[in-house]
Amino acid sequence: MSGEEVNPAAVAQPVEDVQGDGRWMSQHTRFIQECKDGEPDVLFVGDSMVQLMQQFEVWRELFSPLHVLNFGIGGDTTCNVLWRLENGELENIRPKAVVLWVGTNNYEHTAEQVAGGILAIAQLLTSRLPKAKIVVLGLLPRGERPNPLREKNAAVNGLLRSWLPRLGQAQLLDVSREFVPSDGTIIPQDMFDFLHLTSTGYRTVAKPLSDLLLQILEETPEERRASLV
Amino acid sequence: MSAEEPNPAATPTPCVDTQGDGRWMSLHNRFVSDSKDKEPDVLFVGDSLVQLMHQFAIWRKLFSPLHTLNFGVGGDATQHVLWRLSNGELDNISPKVVVLWVGTNNHGHTAEQILGGILAIIQVIKNKLPHAHTLVLGLLPRGKMPNPLRERNANVNKLIQEAVSSLPHASFLDVDPGFVHSNGSISHQDMYDYLHLTPQGYQAVCEPLHAHLKSILDKPAEN
Ligand SMILES: [Ca+2]
Repeated sequence: MSGEEVNPAAVAQPVEDVQGDGRWMSQHTRFIQECKDGEPDVLFVGDSMVQLMQQFEVWRELFSPLHVLNFGIGGDTTCNVLWRLENGELENIRPKAVVLWVGTNNYEHTAEQVAGGILAIAQLLTSRLPKAKIVVLGLLPRGERPNPLREKNAAVNGLLRSWLPRLGQAQLLDVSREFVPSDGTIIPQDMFDFLHLTSTGYRTVAKPLSDLLLQILEETPEERRASLV
Repeated sequence: MSAEEPNPAATPTPCVDTQGDGRWMSLHNRFVSDSKDKEPDVLFVGDSLVQLMHQFAIWRKLFSPLHTLNFGVGGDATQHVLWRLSNGELDNISPKVVVLWVGTNNHGHTAEQILGGILAIIQVIKNKLPHAHTLVLGLLPRGKMPNPLRERNANVNKLIQEAVSSLPHASFLDVDPGFVHSNGSISHQDMYDYLHLTPQGYQAVCEPLHAHLKSILDKPAEN
């Protein structure tokens, strides 16, 4: 990719209401309202992987106590998340940590473009929320058996692993290895449709994520003290 | 629609694997293989509204004890369910009741076409499982505020209800507990994205559905 070429995965774009029930915009509007009503310490942003997590017990158990908002929308790509964050979903809030999980729906984009789109979102987050830590969740494998999308998602994770540390405030949490047994087959007990997680699958992700968030939230006051001195 | 024109909603169609990970066919193959070593009394078939029900505690509480299989696939329209049921998912089981919930994803189809699709599915079930009763669940309203898809889904429900009233092997159940509030809005507490149900939304749907299923299962067979 040449320096001048625009990365299509890093172009902010709203979802077109092709079905005609306006659900995407209704959700975006609700998230903006939630920013006005709540003071979250942690913000989750992304696609259905983020959105569905809130429907399971593990959310109430591990994340609700941390004062979280969930801005996940099923089907979203990096372009859609970028658009939402540039159009009101970061107004009025100052979370200490942001969890970003998006990219598996970027079907038209290469691994390099997807990783660039995620990086663009992480850059937007660090510029708008300079004190927040960004946790980027690695893309999970998908499909029952090995397939090109699994390879692409693994390549995205590899690029993020080398690119994200440059941002300083951002880090990758990659739990993708937990989901593929040695024979390469993904089991429905983890992903009910070989993409979306079951409650068991969410526990596998949520435990290391909640440990990391607790660590970030504990460190924050100390760093503030340090910066005062 | 002219008499010669085939109804796309009633034409068995496998999902094209546009994304390239083969998930739709993997799910279909899993259902076929599941059906070989289980003896369900109840089979749920449909789209994501069926599929997601399986992920929540209410399924284990209310439906697992009835010996139930769940063949829901997210995104499926009537023509996809029609293809799955015509291609192996009913070949090794003999459930007493088939719960059918599909149609809200039939984008671009009219209410009449969706009705045709649902009737075609009922017919395939009748051919493959002559002793089973098909319970068709009404399509739910969708979208936060009133919109054309809500009207279409309501029309589908009216048409199905009329059509199945004359069929001895099928019936219709409206499972909407009143998701639309007096100001016309649907709450995200019931439908988190104004389409898919939260655990709370499922509870409101599933409790009456469970009671209805029990009454069908407890009745001596009619046909
Ligand atoms: Ca009847």
